[in-house]
Amino acid sequence: MPRRFLFLAAAALALVSCSRETQVERANREGILILGNSGEPKSLDPQLVTGVIESKIINSLMEGLVADDPENDDGLPPGAAASWEHNDDLTEWTFHLRPEGRWSDGVPLTASDYVFSFHRMLHPDLIAPYVEMLYFIENAEAFNKGEISDFSKVGVWADDDLTLRFKLREPVPFLPSLTRHYTWFAVPRHVILQHGKMTDRFTDWSEPPNMVGNGPFRLKSWKFHDSIEVEKNPHYWGADQVALNGIRFLPIENPYTEARAFFSGQLHSSYTLPPDLIDSVRKKSPKYLRQEPYVGTVFVRLNTTRKGLDDPRVRRALGLAIDRAALTEYVLEGYFPATSLTPKMGQYEPDPVLRFDPEEARRLLAEAGYPDGKGFPRFSVLISRPAARASTEALQAMWREHLNIIVDIQNKDWGSYISAQQSLDFDIASAGWIGDYLDPTTFLNLWTQGNGNNNTGWSNPEFENLLDQAAHESDAAQRLEILRKAESVVMAEQPILPVAYYSRNYLLRPEVKGWHPLLLDNHPFKTLRLDP
Amino acid sequence: MSTAASSPASRIEKGASLWQDAWRRLSKNRAAMVSVGVLAVILLACIILPAIPKFLQDPGMQSLENKNLPPSAAHWFGTDHLGRDLFSRILFGGRVSIMVGLITTMVSVTIGITWGAISGYVGGRTDAFMMRTVDTLYALPFLVIVILLGAVLEPITGHVTEFTVRLFTPSGSSAAKANEVRTAVEPFTTLVPLFIAIGALSWLNVSRIVRAQVQSVAKLEFVEAARSLGLGHLRILFRHILPNTLGPIIVYTTLTIPGVMLFEATLSFLGLGVKPPNSSWGILIEEGANRMLSNPLLLFFPALFFSTTLFALNFLGDGLRDALDPKSSKD
Repeated sequence: MPRRFLFLAAAALALVSCSRETQVERANREGILILGNSGEPKSLDPQLVTGVIESKIINSLMEGLVADDPENDDGLPPGAAASWEHNDDLTEWTFHLRPEGRWSDGVPLTASDYVFSFHRMLHPDLIAPYVEMLYFIENAEAFNKGEISDFSKVGVWADDDLTLRFKLREPVPFLPSLTRHYTWFAVPRHVILQHGKMTDRFTDWSEPPNMVGNGPFRLKSWKFHDSIEVEKNPHYWGADQVALNGIRFLPIENPYTEARAFFSGQLHSSYTLPPDLIDSVRKKSPKYLRQEPYVGTVFVRLNTTRKGLDDPRVRRALGLAIDRAALTEYVLEGYFPATSLTPKMGQYEPDPVLRFDPEEARRLLAEAGYPDGKGFPRFSVLISRPAARASTEALQAMWREHLNIIVDIQNKDWGSYISAQQSLDFDIASAGWIGDYLDPTTFLNLWTQGNGNNNTGWSNPEFENLLDQAAHESDAAQRLEILRKAESVVMAEQPILPVAYYSRNYLLRPEVKGWHPLLLDNHPFKTLRLDP
Repeated sequence: MSTAASSPASRIEKGASLWQDAWRRLSKNRAAMVSVGVLAVILLACIILPAIPKFLQDPGMQSLENKNLPPSAAHWFGTDHLGRDLFSRILFGGRVSIMVGLITTMVSVTIGITWGAISGYVGGRTDAFMMRTVDTLYALPFLVIVILLGAVLEPITGHVTEFTVRLFTPSGSSAAKANEVRTAVEPFTTLVPLFIAIGALSWLNVSRIVRAQVQSVAKLEFVEAARSLGLGHLRILFRHILPNTLGPIIVYTTLTIPGVMLFEATLSFLGLGVKPPNSSWGILIEEGANRMLSNPLLLFFPALFFSTTLFALNFLGDGLRDALDPKSSKD
């Protein structure tokens, strides 16, 4: 009897395990990578988006002049351009496109496609939200602001089908690294003009089946709030090196849900892992846990046009009352306490000015006219994701304990969270910024007047002056010194309160090969393999 | 009633009222009585314990280094992800959830019964007009209206809060004292107007149920009898017809209360209900579900309270339906 029972049990078990092939196991068989991608992208038009969510998908569909290196942030493998050169003072650059370059519909990719792309992005009518990324090009800013209307005066020209030439407004040693960012990608003229005028926003060109790119994958389907799927692009110049057959991006907004989906075998990699889960994952399944350095800062954005927050003493008091060490140890686990705005990056290390000093904070608050928090306006802190609630609740408690100030917490969906900040219709917002390229200006340029991501109402002539000086400084060490000074101006005024430096915490299955830690976290999909 | 015939004529049986009969039948229903006990314990715990000064720990008090502690003598249910005492958060949250559930249900059932009863009793054009009104209101997207209402009511609740704070704060006390009072009254002053408004919008189902019941009961002989005795319409409607429709109403009511508590959690997440760091059962369950992997107790305890209350309400509702049915036998 017992033997027969065992046999039955074994048979039942075998049956169960056969019928329960997980999503990931099936995807392994089919050569498809499934990635959590945190949210529904606003669009896939690289000139109309600003988010990291969108960049992941766009990076699979398009490729810059220079490609991302799978192992090294400073590596500059050729992408759409086979080679490039520059003059001695780094202001004139020439890129030679590869002759076999094709769009995913087989149409050749030419230098004039690039000129069209920059023309479109810089055109005042397109209102591209991230246009500052192109201001490095000579006269680009003037054209974008309508000061000149002749695009041939802007420093980008196609000498012939394969030669693209730039003239920059200042020496930009990191230009090749910059061209890896999606704002510098080419968009297909022949497709865009088929679906509308050049400057029409959100037309059908960037949706399936119309969307055409020059990347290793092409858009297969976009099911709203379900998945976006891309498949191998046979026209890609390096198609024979692409190992994956496709990638599926899942817009799972709640990171806790995403973690559960990962552990039930629905994802190869999660977009993120909430800090408060790190401990238990480390104990239970350490082989999935990835913790890597990342150039990003979690900060609190203050609306400096609000009465109360317009006083730098108040802003500094709020910053001094944040116990960053406790926050990173117990709430934002795995993150590092911020000591300034910009995380250490290569040779650049800003002065560690931020500290926790409730005594001084109370003194500053009293000096600003709010002794013991009396009469301080009631502000709301805007958040957008469930994972931000814990850290914001901790901030709320710290301000209450040390300054006797009560703030509310207000949750909004991602779209209205962003637009509330852009229209300065908020008091305080919990926010973050991930560097786009490895240079401190990716953090510092944000706080210039009129930058689309400033959203604090703050500006400072001395700060802009220093940035301008740095831009025209060709000595690298001297340049960083000036930038350090510029950063200390922001930190003295604190239109934002840096809280922590990101560490990139996420889950990854071991069968994904060719995935290496990268500071900017742009893993080129073409070199990834699945090896279960 | 069979005993009445054999009794002497002088000892006419004193008619037991509906409520006395109901109570007699209800007290025989064990599940319902246990539920009454459970509900009483939870209600009293949520109302009385937080009112005793210093008995519970401050539910907003964080001590980050003591987060995710297992249950102990100091923290009966352990602590949450920010080191707050879970037991006191559940009790303080329960106050909000229970209050919201009761107020909203009361408002909605009162309006619904009145509307449905009049519509069903009067009939004709009045009935058609009243029911088309209900249909129209049905067509409006509920969540959108509630969000709009929240936006409209926000400035009003702000004034109500400030007024209440001034009422309870002795003049000349410090900002800290005022903040303390504000934290205590805020969950109520901000929520009550909103949930009264929600109750005023969610009576549609009740009114339809009551109308249908009233229509069917109004044709029965005892109503004819009452009419022939010369009773007024109101008296017939509220004294004779409505008690016969109580069964479905009560069942519906007991289902509405947990529904409203859940809806409160939805609203809170949208930023309209309870604001952090205050809690409600809905919020605690949502937070706990998110942290299921790291600390399952954060889900277990709030869910235990919520589902116990829900079950008890359902059993009690079943019991009341049977007990209040005037058509059921006297014993």
